[in-house]
Amino acid sequence: MVLSSLVTLLFINPEDSINAMMNAGSDAVNLVFKLLGIYCVWLGIIALVDACGLSQKIASLLDPVIDWLFGKTTPDTKKYIALNLSANLLGMGNACTPTGLKAMNELDKLNNSTTASMAMIMLVVINATGIQLIPTTIIGLRQQYGSTTSSDIIVPTIIATLISTLLAIFLVKFCNKIFKRAKR
Amino acid sequence: MSVSVFITPILIILLLLYCAKKKVNAYGTFANGAKGAIQLCLDIFPFLVTIFIAIQLFNASGLTDITADLLAPLMGVLGIPTELTELMIIRPFSGSGSLVLLEQIYTDYGADSYIARCASVIMGSSDTIFYVATIYFSQTKAKRLLYAIPVALIANIVASIIACQVCRIF
Repeated sequence: MVLSSLVTLLFINPEDSINAMMNAGSDAVNLVFKLLGIYCVWLGIIALVDACGLSQKIASLLDPVIDWLFGKTTPDTKKYIALNLSANLLGMGNACTPTGLKAMNELDKLNNSTTASMAMIMLVVINATGIQLIPTTIIGLRQQYGSTTSSDIIVPTIIATLISTLLAIFLVKFCNKIFKRAKR
Repeated sequence: MSVSVFITPILIILLLLYCAKKKVNAYGTFANGAKGAIQLCLDIFPFLVTIFIAIQLFNASGLTDITADLLAPLMGVLGIPTELTELMIIRPFSGSGSLVLLEQIYTDYGADSYIARCASVIMGSSDTIFYVATIYFSQTKAKRLLYAIPVALIANIVASIIACQVCRIF
């Protein structure tokens, strides 16, 4: 992707290529500082949830779902997956990433290989299909642009999200079976 | 103001009360947890820079527009308004980029138009796949991601198709 873009730029506008790269670099620095603040808050809160034993409770509540989706995992992994899923469902977008990253870390310890495990892919795909149910940012934005019925997108969004997430889960399970068979 | 803005603060208040009941040292525990954020950011930063540069170059080179033109006929078949092609291409790569496009659509067509509603639902039901996959997998040793990206892409495209159909009904 980078190569094809650079080659194209060479023909159209060579000065832009270095500009674009520099801009992207400083954008990334800005973003990482923003994220640092967000992660501090959420990792702190997660530590609290952990310390008072709530995360085990959430985990045991979601236990059957996690077992079905992610297969065999350790209690620690389950805890973070449970927190990630509940943050997703509650629409706490900023809380998803730190919990998800912790869960990935735990899954990596279990996997211990350079090939992604089914559970890892499942977690990434679920997060990437955006199971956030109420799109608050977008509703706010529509209001700013003079929409009179800014929240009429909630129902369609929920329908689209649910169907696509279910499809994603099914596809991951399906692909996993194919890959397992191919290995044998 | 929607109800959802209350969810997070209320949950945090409940959490603090629960901590007090369980006699957990809230201050120390919170600070200790927050410490982990620095390492986390250091871990994801190199990957963030790389993906940002790739996206920026892709945009600057005009390849985005070319891809959009190439895909436009396909969008028609899938029942997605062609005006949304660019949004759908940018969406998996860049959250801020797609927000800019969304605002553009709101100004051009009006926030209550069919196109704007489709665009909103597409935004709400999909996510920045490449960004999510990049930082999530940066926490692991995994180099072969197998079917992770294709599956996520398919799911997002399906979400967009459904979005446009559902918008017609509601």
